[in-house]
Amino acid sequence: MSKGKGIKIIVSMIGLDGHTTGGEVVSMLLRDAGFEVVYLGVNQTPQSIVDAAIQEDVDAIGISSHAANYSLIEELMDLVRAKGLDDVIVVVGGNIPKQQILKLAATGIAKVFTPGSASSEIVDFLVANVRRLPGAPDSVEHRAA
Amino acid sequence: MKRETDYGYPIKSVYSPDDLPGFDYEKDLGAPGSFPYTRGYHPEGYRSRMWTQRMTAGLGSSVQANGVLKKYREMGQRGGMCVISDRVFSDCIDPDHPNARREAGVLGWPGCSLLEFEELMEGIPLTGQSITLLGSSAPTVLRLAYVVALAKKRGIDPSEVHGSVMESPFENYFGQTDVQPFDLNLKLWLDASEYVVRNKIRMRSSVISQHFQESGGNNAQAIAVVLSMYKELCGKLVNERGLDFDDAAMVPYELVSIGSRFFEEVAKVRAMRRMWARMAREHFKAKKEKSCQMLIAVHTSGRTMTYQQPLNNIARCAIQTLAGAIVGCTALDNATMDNAYAEPSALAARMSLNTQHIVAVETGVTDVVDPLAGSYFVETLTNKVEEEAYRILKEIDDLGGMIAAVEKGYIQTMLREEAARKFREVDTKERLVVGVNHLAIPPEDDFEIPIQEVHEGDSEAIARRMETWKKTRDMPLVTERLRRLHADAGRGERFNLMPAIVEAVEAYATAGEVIGVIRMARGLSYDPFRLIDCPYSFELEAA
Repeated sequence: MSKGKGIKIIVSMIGLDGHTTGGEVVSMLLRDAGFEVVYLGVNQTPQSIVDAAIQEDVDAIGISSHAANYSLIEELMDLVRAKGLDDVIVVVGGNIPKQQILKLAATGIAKVFTPGSASSEIVDFLVANVRRLPGAPDSVEHRAA
Repeated sequence: MKRETDYGYPIKSVYSPDDLPGFDYEKDLGAPGSFPYTRGYHPEGYRSRMWTQRMTAGLGSSVQANGVLKKYREMGQRGGMCVISDRVFSDCIDPDHPNARREAGVLGWPGCSLLEFEELMEGIPLTGQSITLLGSSAPTVLRLAYVVALAKKRGIDPSEVHGSVMESPFENYFGQTDVQPFDLNLKLWLDASEYVVRNKIRMRSSVISQHFQESGGNNAQAIAVVLSMYKELCGKLVNERGLDFDDAAMVPYELVSIGSRFFEEVAKVRAMRRMWARMAREHFKAKKEKSCQMLIAVHTSGRTMTYQQPLNNIARCAIQTLAGAIVGCTALDNATMDNAYAEPSALAARMSLNTQHIVAVETGVTDVVDPLAGSYFVETLTNKVEEEAYRILKEIDDLGGMIAAVEKGYIQTMLREEAARKFREVDTKERLVVGVNHLAIPPEDDFEIPIQEVHEGDSEAIARRMETWKKTRDMPLVTERLRRLHADAGRGERFNLMPAIVEAVEAYATAGEVIGVIRMARGLSYDPFRLIDCPYSFELEAA
């Protein structure tokens, strides 16, 4: 499968969240689907994630959350906006209550994937929503070429 | 749909005596209370000792967690308490650390000082019930020091307290990491274990295959991993700390995860008991029968609790609790119906605890020991999982043991691949999960359960309290105790730091301070995140 070819995404835990299984499984399924995954691992701060996003010039950021530290995700979104990363979409996966999903959506999170999400849902959403549009100089097609 | 065990043994439609050639009751099972303990340790089973029925607590401030513990006692939890720490304490930094201010009390109990433990235990007895504090390996010495210090304050001999507050250093590699390095966690674990043995404190250390399985490991791997951890850790206590094996064997206990594949879970625990009994006798030359008896507590599987249709989790929890009871466990705590959302709500906790009570008093499961023994199917499964576990155990042995296997990445790769395989099996519907990939309903039709909310202000409040409280301590005393600890930490790998840690904790030195000065003496930064400096200057004086 190469649906994700040309799309570069960060997968990271945030804050002190030490639960790595979800992030590792999602990294694997994205790589299998052709994405280029930059796996940052544990102990990342909003700042270190945004720094990596700029340095690696990614299309998307995926945060794996298993520790209920949602305010750090909000802080990440503030920083993404402050740095003008308007073309980078941010998605979150984890055991996140419905009320919290609404709050995260309000901060600009593109999508929250809850437990039990199929790999096709994740892959298809990212492919359809990365913001570098076809034809733009830095587009997915351009990179894949 | 796949009809095979999670480690790949294909299950037949029927089992008969032909599946158990050479089956020898005395050799393979033994009566309950007899070697090799396949059937458990008590001839009378639960009639002589009921399992400890408990729920995990810990969220918000210590005062709030104390309230929850008191509520659990009202719900009938009297045999033992179990508290899990937050990410901050798990990492051994303090709530007022810049990286901790948003996470104190968010995912557990913020136990970063003796003050927090005193608040947690206010009005709750230290004796007459088992005291279990979970979280991660790094705070092992702190949790033990809290128990010793509070016992002394209450005029209780620490040897009268029992439970488990230590945790194996390997847990860091099972999908739940903390920031402290393995060699430090191992050294502190050995210190704590040697200390409890030499001081006759009946405190155990969890050596947890549950984390490994909750992160995706299969049943055979779990047995092999737990036996390898036992082998490595008991071996070190004997060879490096000079303990008798029969004393060292009293330190670890196993926390096993029980999922929904009922018969396979029962077989797993029976095989685990038998394999340890043989290892204790043959490898370690155990002199006491008790050393051959792996103490096993059960946690029903949180990873099987689904986000979709959470009420279904009540059924899953009941099935798993029955399996956990049938295997003859020493203690059991359940996952809860809201496990895929948040920490347990009061409703979910009551539901789960009541599930245990229903299984205990209404099903008859406590009447008969090891009731599935002799089933052609269950005995075959017990043999099969044992066979596969021995194969993996040999691979780990061939690599040089558990530490070597971790250093070579063998365990991490095994776990990562197995987690990926489990995900794919659900993704491709080889394994069905009701409400997830089978008989799913639209989210709007789903029943809403109450969710325990995390209040963002709580964490900052915990941080601010610690910040101001720190200054009210007897600072010359704190400094003096930390100076001694720092000096002791420079006296070599086998010099036991527990006495100095207990003294520091009694002076209300915090988790960040205690572990920080030990780190410094080992040539590490005071702060694992390198964001704050040690507020004490004794390093210069010591030099």
